[in-house]
Amino acid sequence: MTQKHENLSAFVDGESQDDNMVGMIGRDEELSAKWQRYHLIRQGLRKELPQNASFDISAQVALALQSEPAILAPKRTWRDMPLVANVMPLVRSSGQLAIAASVAVAMVIGVQKLNQEEQQIFNPAPATFQGIQGGLSPVSLEQTTAIPRTDVMEQRRRINAYLTDHRQQVRLKDSQSLSSDFQDEAVKAKNDNPNVIQELENLPE
Amino acid sequence: MTILTLSKSLRISLSNSLASKKLLICVVCMWCLSPLAQAQINLNEDGNASAWLSKMAEAKRSLNYQISFVLLKPGIDAQPYLWRHAVNADGVEMEQLDLLNGPGREVIRVGNVVSYFEPNVPPYSLATGHINGPLPSLLFDDPMSLQQAYEFVLVGRSRISGRAAQQIRIVSRDKSRFGLNLWLDQDTGLVLKLNMVDANGQAIEQIQVTELKVTDKPDAFFESLQIARLPEVVQVMAGPESKQTWQLDFLPVGMKQVKRDIHRLPLGGGLVEYMMLSDGLIDVSVYLQNISASTAEGDILLRHESNIYLTRTQGPVLVTVIGKLPAQTANAIASSVSLVDPK
Repeated sequence: MTQKHENLSAFVDGESQDDNMVGMIGRDEELSAKWQRYHLIRQGLRKELPQNASFDISAQVALALQSEPAILAPKRTWRDMPLVANVMPLVRSSGQLAIAASVAVAMVIGVQKLNQEEQQIFNPAPATFQGIQGGLSPVSLEQTTAIPRTDVMEQRRRINAYLTDHRQQVRLKDSQSLSSDFQDEAVKAKNDNPNVIQELENLPE
Repeated sequence: MTILTLSKSLRISLSNSLASKKLLICVVCMWCLSPLAQAQINLNEDGNASAWLSKMAEAKRSLNYQISFVLLKPGIDAQPYLWRHAVNADGVEMEQLDLLNGPGREVIRVGNVVSYFEPNVPPYSLATGHINGPLPSLLFDDPMSLQQAYEFVLVGRSRISGRAAQQIRIVSRDKSRFGLNLWLDQDTGLVLKLNMVDANGQAIEQIQVTELKVTDKPDAFFESLQIARLPEVVQVMAGPESKQTWQLDFLPVGMKQVKRDIHRLPLGGGLVEYMMLSDGLIDVSVYLQNISASTAEGDILLRHESNIYLTRTQGPVLVTVIGKLPAQTANAIASSVSLVDPK
């Protein structure tokens, strides 16, 4: 008895040497139930449990099928009388309409419910990637206002100049830090240049 | 009722040593699922995240590999890249990064020289140990240097590009910058996926590896590479140092000034005082420019690809901040500019 369980435990851990284990689990009901539970526990430990763990309901379904009565031909009832038979389709169709409407409502509610659930799940890295939006697009921030109506072309050109410079600066960042000795010399050379100094003086204080 | 069954099962299980082991597993399982325990696990695994990043840096440096990845940025088309790395017989690292769409853009690194081959520009080389590409170089070369600004959290395992992957979150300590989600190959430690996400989990930039090959020998490409024929190294001229007439009163945690000068913007953009800030992961440019008739405009806030572009008028100057950072942080930096008297 215990030996059987030890074997199963080893089998689940992938350490079993016994080739007949699969067959044994298939035949032995208790073992197969245990096998299932071990895997459930393992999934739980590894946090791999699905959102709604589906437990085995095959046994219940089989039981329900057994107690299901056999379907026989329907007996003649008052519904089959001439007048009633003519009225019934009307009643029935309106009933169907109501059912269809209620199904539609249920669908809408169901879909909304699903969407809400999707948002509520705490997910550090969303599996459903929304795609990246936006090109050169305004972003909202309280302190800033929308782009004022000035010369749009001129403004675009200026923004482009800034963005291009940012790219260049980032590209050259590493190489400058490596050749810093050289850089110092370059700075000295530039400082001696009167034109640069003149430009410096034009800068805001 | 449930208590009764539980105690019954307890009694039964105690009679069986194996079953009691199972019960223990059950209890551990319950403990794991409680949120408190989860927080504790994350705390314990923090050291592990660093270990994974070290493994990644070591693998990136020492293995021969070929990685195909796709770069996604807002507003532009997906960009496929080929990235190869090899260590030759002399122990010199060689690297190639090739943009596969359009006229292309190829970068080749041999040791500490990086050569750029781009359309419309004559090829040139820079003396640097990193390729300036879509992958943040410092994160891959020296991840521990980011620890001042960022926290590493081991999240767990998943499957990326058909391989078992270890997920690591990189979160800025003061929550002032975008976070990173990084997936590393379980076997080799190489990168499989990298997402830059904002506080709401919305992706800002994404890199997805589509193929990863690790080989014993360097790729044939590196043998055919004629190192002597690579373009000469250009020396970068730095602009003159700024007179330190202004300073930033606010800096996000771990961010430092790495460059400061005065230079002219390309495309006739005029003279600017410039400062570059960096936390190792992102580089932020801060520009100061005189307000003149041509620059007279209100505040602007735009998003260009994954960069934020913010311009604010601060008294007599126009402050512009560009970088991959949230608008709120860019705004905080821009409004913290203060002028100091030169002494």
